[in-house]
Amino acid sequence: MNRAEMEQGKKKKVHRYYDYTLLFLTIFLVCFGLVMIYSTSSYNAQRFYGDATKFVMQQAKAAVLGIVGMLVVSKIDYRIYIKPLPIIKIRPIYLLYFLCLGLQLLVMFMGSESGGSIRWIEIGSLRFQPSELSKIAVILFTAFVVQLSPRRLDKIWGFFRAAILVAPLIGLVVIENFSTALIMGVIMVAICFVASKKKAYFIVCGVILVALGCVFVFGVDYRSERIDAWLQIETHPKGYQILQGLYAIASGRIFGKGLGQSMQKLGFIPESHTDMIFSVICEELGLFGAIAVILLFILLLYRLFFIAVNSADLYGGLIATGIMAHIGMQVLLNIAVVTSSIPSTGVPLPFISYGGTSLVVLLLEMGIALSVSNQIKAEA
Amino acid sequence: MYPVVKNRTYNRRKLLVVAGVLFAVCVGLIGRLFWLMVIKSEEYAKRATELHERERSIKAERGIIYDRNGVALASNVPVCTISVIHAQITDPERVIAELSERLGLGEETVRKRVEKNSSIERIKSNVPKETADEIRNLGLDGVMIDEDYKRYYPYETLASRVIGFTGSDNQGIIGLEVEYDEFLMGTDGRILTLATAHGAEIEDAAENRIEPVAGYDLYTSLDMNIQSYAEQAAEKVLKAKNANRVSLIVMNPQNGEIYAMANVPEFNLNEPYVLTEAMLSGVEEELDDETKTELLNAMWRNPCISDTYEPGSAFKIVTATAALEEGVVSLNDTFYCPGYKIVEDRQIRCHKSGGHGSETFVQGIQNSCNPVFMEIGARVGINSLYQYFKKLGLFERTGVDLPGEAGSIMHKAENVGAVELATISFGQSFQITPLQMLRAVSAVVNGGRLVTPHIGVTIKSQDGTVIKTLDYEESDGAVSEETSEIMKELLESVVSEGTGKRAYLPGFRIGGKTATSEKLPRRSGRYIASFVGFAPAENPQVVAIVMIDEPEGIYYGGTIAAPVIKEVFADVLPYLGIEEEYTEEETEEYRTASFPVPSLVGMSVNETKELLKSYEFGEIHYLGEGDTVTEQFPLAGESVKQNSDLILYLE
Repeated sequence: MNRAEMEQGKKKKVHRYYDYTLLFLTIFLVCFGLVMIYSTSSYNAQRFYGDATKFVMQQAKAAVLGIVGMLVVSKIDYRIYIKPLPIIKIRPIYLLYFLCLGLQLLVMFMGSESGGSIRWIEIGSLRFQPSELSKIAVILFTAFVVQLSPRRLDKIWGFFRAAILVAPLIGLVVIENFSTALIMGVIMVAICFVASKKKAYFIVCGVILVALGCVFVFGVDYRSERIDAWLQIETHPKGYQILQGLYAIASGRIFGKGLGQSMQKLGFIPESHTDMIFSVICEELGLFGAIAVILLFILLLYRLFFIAVNSADLYGGLIATGIMAHIGMQVLLNIAVVTSSIPSTGVPLPFISYGGTSLVVLLLEMGIALSVSNQIKAEA
Repeated sequence: MYPVVKNRTYNRRKLLVVAGVLFAVCVGLIGRLFWLMVIKSEEYAKRATELHERERSIKAERGIIYDRNGVALASNVPVCTISVIHAQITDPERVIAELSERLGLGEETVRKRVEKNSSIERIKSNVPKETADEIRNLGLDGVMIDEDYKRYYPYETLASRVIGFTGSDNQGIIGLEVEYDEFLMGTDGRILTLATAHGAEIEDAAENRIEPVAGYDLYTSLDMNIQSYAEQAAEKVLKAKNANRVSLIVMNPQNGEIYAMANVPEFNLNEPYVLTEAMLSGVEEELDDETKTELLNAMWRNPCISDTYEPGSAFKIVTATAALEEGVVSLNDTFYCPGYKIVEDRQIRCHKSGGHGSETFVQGIQNSCNPVFMEIGARVGINSLYQYFKKLGLFERTGVDLPGEAGSIMHKAENVGAVELATISFGQSFQITPLQMLRAVSAVVNGGRLVTPHIGVTIKSQDGTVIKTLDYEESDGAVSEETSEIMKELLESVVSEGTGKRAYLPGFRIGGKTATSEKLPRRSGRYIASFVGFAPAENPQVVAIVMIDEPEGIYYGGTIAAPVIKEVFADVLPYLGIEEEYTEEETEEYRTASFPVPSLVGMSVNETKELLKSYEFGEIHYLGEGDTVTEQFPLAGESVKQNSDLILYLE
């Protein structure tokens, strides 16, 4: 070993890992999303706003903002969030938690309506969906609560304690936005599950939750109607959007019609650039394109899994777990809805569907994941 | 903070569970996608295509109807349909202004349609091509011009009820247009284009175009010229006699080809929904829809085939034929006509109140003497007579290729008593259509062949390929050859010597029979004057019937109907290439100069005598009592040969 090699070895030991695969995967998905948003929205944007690039430009702005934010966040040590701030002596995680609670309350009273549900806060020309931010809060807060004393989770009461602490936030979301609340719940459970040594009580809890969920779903009018629509997709008036989505998917066949060639986006699928974007991907890029997109997401989830397993500490691991659960859940729900595998519920496809808040928050989330990866000590 | 290492084993295992679940669901969803995009794709994609495709039909060009010389009687002109597509209009005000000005529509009407938010809105159809081209050249966004065809009848009123017309959906409504609809119609083509959910068509998308197939052309036996002659002659007598209408059929008795079928007043086929003046006469208040429909239906009706009448004396042809066939009468049998005949308890009058006195059978038919025919009718008997009716097709429809043909109305044989038999013998107490009459006469004079009157001859495709040659039933033996020969001679003598002499046309041998039928109810003073004639008598090439419905003034078939046929034959026979052959007497009598007849109506007898000195009329008959001329035959202005007779009616 010469000196140079010695130094290299030394360097290797202190070398901090950074998951570039995840970074580039994310950026790739965002860019792909922009292409698809342009493809799906240009017709309607031209028709209703006289500017074919209206939606794609707005999304691009959010993407730039989000990517910059992601890079900045990825360089901030995620452990800062749970350390008391120097002057006010409050942990930032609490600030985030209460900020989200406040915003959710605010949106309930002052939010603006869109598509029948109140989910938005408008500040000037900016529209902001606080439930997106709440997802990050749930990830960080649950991970924080659990890592304080992971042993408690060995008993079912420990799980309940964690659940109760997170519950207010989920509770505020569930009123207006069931699917987001569901995702939050899944994130919370996933984190606890990974941190716990036991699994029996999770199964019991799972059964109880499903039962409660059913009561909840059928108890609310517009939700049970969605189930009727799902069961009678061909005839139910509310099944129109999904049925149009199915037409799009089916007409894509194996190789698709080619980028930009979708017919269904021409007004047949309402707002095809948002939650239904995957159906147009299927129509234009075919089964191959659709599987390629799913594979990209699987790769992304694998990177998150890798980060979770190799994280420097339990907190980082749990954060990565939460993010993985979040993105995985959202991808699966979205595709399941679009393919009419489950009753319809509004879940955007991460990184691809149109929606500024969602994209920025997701990118920040990836920044946190990258930050976790950045603390991994690379092995020599 | 707990070190990671402590938790690593179970954390990793649990994480694997989470990742595993996510992966499993992913695989499940890929399976679902495979199901949708490969296995179910055919079904869903088809439905999606149905949703995207917009179908526009291209009207097929309707087949052309030609006369026997290849003159188009019904053809098509290109027209356009102007529509607007709301979503594509960029300058609505200009579109409204231009369209309302150029299409002659009210601005409000156009505005309403332009501003209506529908996928496509029709502004006007049947726009002439030139106007449409002008609009196209304006290059207005959102204005669509579809080319189309419209039926066009170049001779407008010619044979209107025979040719018929079509409705807006290109479907025949009356006449040949209905009868041959399936051949004429053709198959509409289609343009399949892709359209967005808002109805806008996508440019550059592959157009799926199915070309329309033009309808087949119909070649008919009608002759535009003969039809015109017939209509002119009918028109003339219609005016002169102020009749309700005049029907005239000209047919080839040998094969049943109809040369002309006129029903004046005709209506304009290019405006079939406009009532003619004749239809409107007597209608004073505003027409409600129901009355209008009724009047239109009446106007479209073809009386030659759809209306029945009592044929009257012309029917004596059939009675005479039956009697000769049965051998119950010979030409030299003598009869006595006292002016009436007592049948059972009734006295049935002859048209000549003083009676014809003693006469042979030949004279009986020349005089159209009713008692003679009552007598021979009785000799034949109803059962035999009906058998000849049947042989001559009087119990069935003629089978002419026109819609709406009526059948005859006859007593049942068992209900016919002596009185009915007597009246049937001279053409009363039953009704037939004019065409049935003509068909029966054809069979009598063509050697006994019962033909099917028809108009359609061949159906050809646009390139001239024969698609179908139309065949019609013919049966021989309705009348024996001998009887047919005798009848031809007898009927020729009716024209040359008898009641039909006003149909006499020097140089031609014309046979025929007059008829004057009183319309029902009797004694209402409404008559149908008719004449059926054929020529040349020895080998008939043309047979014609004319019916003058409710003439004013003189109503005798021999006086007013016979000259019409003469006039038609004077044009038609040379036209058909039948040469004039004058006998020596005729040469002497008729091959001389002709001159126009002066107007004598309103003059006193003495005045006419003075005036007529300078004219070379033959005999001048003064009929009726009085001193003022109310009517004259031939009519003023008509051209007559020297030594022609002149009849003046006085009052």
